[in-house]
Amino acid sequence: MDINRVSNEKKLNLCTWYFRAGFAFLPFVWVINVIWFFDSAVRKPPFEEQNAIRKYVILSAIGSFIWIIIIATWVSLFQANRIAWGSWADDLSFIIPLGSK
Amino acid sequence: MKTKLAVISLTLLGAFLSSVFCDRTKENMYEDVYGSMCFRRLNATHQTGCSSNGKSRGSVGVLHLISSDSDINFLLNKPPAPPYAAIVTPKHFTRENILKLRDSTFISAIVLINDTQKVESFSQESKCPNEFFTHSQQPTCDILKPETTWNPFGTGLLQENFEIPIIFLSNRNESEKVIKCFNDFNKDFTNQKQRSLCSIEINSFMSAAGNSEICMRRTEIFKLLNQIHYCDPLQGKNVYATLFPREIVSPKNRTIDESEKIILVTARLDTTSMFDGLGLGAMDSLASAATLITSGHYLKKLISLEKLNDKKINVMFMIFNGESYDYIGSQRFVYDLKKGDAFPSPSSYTKPLNLSNIMLMIDIGNLDSFTDITMYQLKDSDFGNNLISSFQYYNDKLKLNINFTSKTTNNLPPVSAQTFLRENSSFPAFIVATTKPENKFYHSVYDDMNNLNFTYFNLSADFDQLDSIGDSHSFTVTSVQIKIRNAATLVALGIYDILNKGQKYNGTYVASSQLVDEYLYCYLIASKCRLFSSIFEFQGSFHGNDFPPQRYISVQATVTLEATWWAYRVLGFVLSENIKGKTKDNCTVLPDYWIPGSNMTGECRLTTQNFSLALSPAFEEVDYNFKSNRYSTWTESTWNELSARIFLRPSPTHESLTFSIGFVVMILSFVIVYIVNSKSDVLFTEMTVEHVSLPAQC
Repeated sequence: MDINRVSNEKKLNLCTWYFRAGFAFLPFVWVINVIWFFDSAVRKPPFEEQNAIRKYVILSAIGSFIWIIIIATWVSLFQANRIAWGSWADDLSFIIPLGSK
Repeated sequence: MKTKLAVISLTLLGAFLSSVFCDRTKENMYEDVYGSMCFRRLNATHQTGCSSNGKSRGSVGVLHLISSDSDINFLLNKPPAPPYAAIVTPKHFTRENILKLRDSTFISAIVLINDTQKVESFSQESKCPNEFFTHSQQPTCDILKPETTWNPFGTGLLQENFEIPIIFLSNRNESEKVIKCFNDFNKDFTNQKQRSLCSIEINSFMSAAGNSEICMRRTEIFKLLNQIHYCDPLQGKNVYATLFPREIVSPKNRTIDESEKIILVTARLDTTSMFDGLGLGAMDSLASAATLITSGHYLKKLISLEKLNDKKINVMFMIFNGESYDYIGSQRFVYDLKKGDAFPSPSSYTKPLNLSNIMLMIDIGNLDSFTDITMYQLKDSDFGNNLISSFQYYNDKLKLNINFTSKTTNNLPPVSAQTFLRENSSFPAFIVATTKPENKFYHSVYDDMNNLNFTYFNLSADFDQLDSIGDSHSFTVTSVQIKIRNAATLVALGIYDILNKGQKYNGTYVASSQLVDEYLYCYLIASKCRLFSSIFEFQGSFHGNDFPPQRYISVQATVTLEATWWAYRVLGFVLSENIKGKTKDNCTVLPDYWIPGSNMTGECRLTTQNFSLALSPAFEEVDYNFKSNRYSTWTESTWNELSARIFLRPSPTHESLTFSIGFVVMILSFVIVYIVNSKSDVLFTEMTVEHVSLPAQC
């Protein structure tokens, strides 16, 4: 779908729904929301729904940013402590490397 | 005429094509090298052995022959074209050298060649084998105190971890192939960086890592899409047989009979070495197993010759498996005895035994020279003193030429009795072993028939007959056959005295030296041998191999290894009774067993032999604490491939030139495509739809 060909009203509708869907622990939906509607929210000449879209885009951006921090912290914590955590970490791992601890 | 010509030329072309080798050019760059690989084993705390680099296709290094210490220094001090693969002779395969090479960042592999030059000693086992599983919680053998060690020639490399592969080229041709390649391309050490160099690529990547606890846990975790087997516990089977058949009871009536008294005679079945599939363990454990077999045979014959019918005391001959790896077999045996109804298994139709049924235990350890033998015990006891006086009596009387001594000591040899004493320090265990360790090739690939000084005499006389004193057939008095015969005679007569309540044997028979000859041939030279063919046939024929059976315990859970099967059959044979008059058709249900017999005329034998599991209790107990150091925890890593090949690696200059050309071509292609794309309206005239032919309508 080419977002440029969609009416502004539909854009707002889509943006709202993407923002709401993100709350179901789907941070990537927020990231997509930000990328997809960034032009409409910031670069396009003003239109009626722009403020609302901008609000959702900014909120999605904040949400994704928080998620990135959470995921990055977990990944680094897990990678640093995988060996030390032993059995528990093995249960969490999807792929256990061959030939190393 | 024309068709004839065409047919001929087509046939010729066909013949030519069929002789064409269609290998890929990539494959032609390499030449395979066949050898034995060092692989990874793990215990409760460590990983030992070797693994190649797993990232690419194995570890690659430039071959470099080490013929003196200066070569080692060359490799360790910034060599010109790293990484290198060191070619090491057995002489240079010392702990110091190998650890230096291992810890250097310039070394990616070690190639051990089979050199004719005889080395003084070559043992990768620890100076104190099974150091942490002795009778006491504190180790009694100290690596730093040579007088306490049981393998003073050991380098302990078997217990080290190598992140590089080590391959042993046992075949001389393979060794020469590698050395020739080194001589042809790498011998000139100057400007190595500018030349193409002969290199080796070794692939022996191991899946397991860390320790047994980690790899077993990971193997047992259920993964939906990615189930991987990391390691397997070392396991095999113990073999045992009794002098007198035990009472047959139905599985329902199996209860321990406290009045049953058993003398346990034990030896070791397995051996090990650093390299996969090699190591016969001739002097190491084969000789002690031969002593056990021969003494069993002798004792069985004596009983019927002397008409000893009092069967109150039975003798159980047992050959333990996996003893090289912290006494796996004996630990499991003791564990089963303590359980109460686990040994022998219900399927044996005999009553279960427990530890108190064992009246005493005689453990035959490594006998090394066979002339200096000591009886070791942990504490002085009447049993021990009686045994010692029996041994001394028969040694003098039958002129067995053994320098026999006895010793009460805390530092016992590394044998199965340690497990029993660990359970109960006053267990009546007596160890018959060498006075001082003399095996310079303990647990190595060179512990073979030469180390044992064995020559096969191939006498045609009946090996099932006993020798008389002074009768040594054609064997020389110093031959290993006679020495083992004498040691076996001593052990058997010690037991005979107990069975006969102290009454001495006055006959002139000693154990069979020919049985020793045949037994050693089968286990050292080829399993297609006289002894094996006379105790086993399958559908009327015998299938032996031209090579000896492998005696490493291995990890087989369902299959019983060939060496174990043969131990089972030989032990069963020597302790069985010939049931005269029974035909082959009536001799099909165990314990009756039909064998071709030593004169190949066929005999029906009443047998007593059986297997018991040699799998460490550590893998049996639920939630075993791996840190407890209670049981053996050895596992073997799995691997995908063990392979090695040599090839000519281009010089770094050559490699960078090839890479740069490729890079330049790529950049150029981008530029060209960009130009063509931007000028497409000039280059290509516009195509109208009419010019494009539409697909035909069907």
